[in-house]
Amino acid sequence: MPTSNVSFIRSTLALLGAGLLILIVVAGSSVWLSERTRENAADVQEAQSIRTRTSRVLALLLDAETGQRGFLLTQDPRYLEPYEVARRQIGPDIERLKQLEHAEPEQEKLLDELSGTVSDKFAELDRTIALAQAGNVAAAIDLVKSNRGRESMDAARKTLSNLLARADIRLRADTEDMTGGARYLSFATIAGASLVFVFGLGSLFIVVRYTRDLVRARTEVQTLNETLEERVQERTTDLARANEEIQRFAYIVSHDLRAPLVNILGFTSELETAIATVDRYFDELPAETTNAAAEEAKLTVKEDMPEAIGFIRASSTRMDGLINAILKLSREGRRTLKPERVDFGEMLDLLAANIQHQVSEAGGEIAIIRPLPTLISDRLALEQIFGNLLDNAVKYRDPYRPLRITIRAVEQGRRVGFEIGDNGRGVAKEDHQRIFDLFRRSGAQDRPGEGIGLAHVRALVRRLGGDITLESELGVGTTFRVSLPRVLRKQEETVDS
Amino acid sequence: MSSEPQAVTIVMVEDDEGHARLIEKNIRRAGVNNEIIPFTDGTSALEYMLGADGSGEASARRHLLVLLDLNLPDMTGVDILAKVKANRHTRRSPVVILTTTDDQREIQRCYDLGANVYITKPVNYESFANAIRQLGLFFSVMQIPETD
Repeated sequence: MPTSNVSFIRSTLALLGAGLLILIVVAGSSVWLSERTRENAADVQEAQSIRTRTSRVLALLLDAETGQRGFLLTQDPRYLEPYEVARRQIGPDIERLKQLEHAEPEQEKLLDELSGTVSDKFAELDRTIALAQAGNVAAAIDLVKSNRGRESMDAARKTLSNLLARADIRLRADTEDMTGGARYLSFATIAGASLVFVFGLGSLFIVVRYTRDLVRARTEVQTLNETLEERVQERTTDLARANEEIQRFAYIVSHDLRAPLVNILGFTSELETAIATVDRYFDELPAETTNAAAEEAKLTVKEDMPEAIGFIRASSTRMDGLINAILKLSREGRRTLKPERVDFGEMLDLLAANIQHQVSEAGGEIAIIRPLPTLISDRLALEQIFGNLLDNAVKYRDPYRPLRITIRAVEQGRRVGFEIGDNGRGVAKEDHQRIFDLFRRSGAQDRPGEGIGLAHVRALVRRLGGDITLESELGVGTTFRVSLPRVLRKQEETVDS
Repeated sequence: MSSEPQAVTIVMVEDDEGHARLIEKNIRRAGVNNEIIPFTDGTSALEYMLGADGSGEASARRHLLVLLDLNLPDMTGVDILAKVKANRHTRRSPVVILTTTDDQREIQRCYDLGANVYITKPVNYESFANAIRQLGLFFSVMQIPETD
């Protein structure tokens, strides 16, 4: 089943639209997910940085304690170096942690605690070192022994491990978030891509099917086009042949009808001669020899037989006329038309001059309205057509009013229409077609004629590639319309024997 | 007719017996008394003129004048004309085409094939009788060659 245009466009557009929508969703979620991943990454970094710093604070505390122990044991100031470094750095590190943890109040509390513990520890350390530097090492060791330093160290350890645990939890959560986001992102991308792929495949399928239909349709049209010329040629040849056959048929029939007619007319004449002989015999017969039978025979010879012969001859002559008409029509159909330039103004003037005498006699006039065109057509045929129509106008004029004939041309593009109008007796509506038939006449049969003229005219007009119609009202007038091509198509050679 | 040692024979090929009779009557009226041999078909006419073997030997030293109709039941008069004019023995015999056809092409073809006279039968009997009588008068003054 071929895909229709509208359904093709609709389904393709729907699929493409759906694909586009999915692409937008996928792109949007990708942007959103990557934004989230970026945030997550920042969080993870922060958590890691908290973890590192927390560990550093512990390390610094341990460094400081190690430095103090070393110094107390050796009184060598070199051991104080890690202590000094830790003392310098621990403050800023805790501040930095506070800045990082500022969002969470619990952490802040823990950090405040840590600061306190660290200050306590350093206060103990400072004092022991100061005592040792003053030379009172035993007092310093006593202070260490008081466990105050160990307690604050334990508290600091506890707080720091607490902070570390919290940082670890946060780090784990952030990492999970990040992995989840990445998983969502790849899932959305794969799903979207699959859908887009499916829709693309669907569109492709429809397009391919539609294209195949198109190609098939085009091939069909092409084939039709290629054979069209051929078929027209065939039909034309068929028509020409049929026409030819009809013409030949008419020709043969009329010829074969003529042969017996020659016999009828011939032997009628022979019979007439024979009757004349008998007639003479009766005339020369002496009057006294007559009897009733002879009188009857004489009457037959003198009246009945000549009457019968008269009818036979009249009928045969009429039949001869009809056969001649058919012969003329068929011969006209066989005549090769010679296209030439025909100036209608000139031709109609000539034809009008031919009937001018009869028209003037009837007190009428012929109006030829110019401009009139020049056609490329067969002159003889045109003269016969228009001569016949003009003759008819004169022949069937209304005796009670002066005859008026009007001829004009009407432009019809590649054709020219001619109107031959008269104010004659007109043709009844039911006869408008019939009068173009052979041997058919209309109205009162008070004029001589065989009913051949218009049949002949129509045959000629059609041979010239035109058409003839009439418009008429009984008692008002008749207008014949002849439509002719401007240029007569060159005839094909008729297939003739 | 001329006082030839052997009389001229008129061969009339005409399928319509009525026509044949009318033609004969009118030729006689012109005072032509030569023998007229009528044929109603082409085959028997050819057999008479060219002999059963078709060689034309049968017509040797005959004086023939052929009156020929073109529309015959078994063949066209044109075929007969062509055969008569192509035969060595009969080619000099005058052939008069007397037919109803007045097609120009047909007339040309007949003269091309060697027809001596082409007459179209007038349908009007007066003209017909007149034409035949004149033809008869023509026959009476014509010199007919002896066939080889």
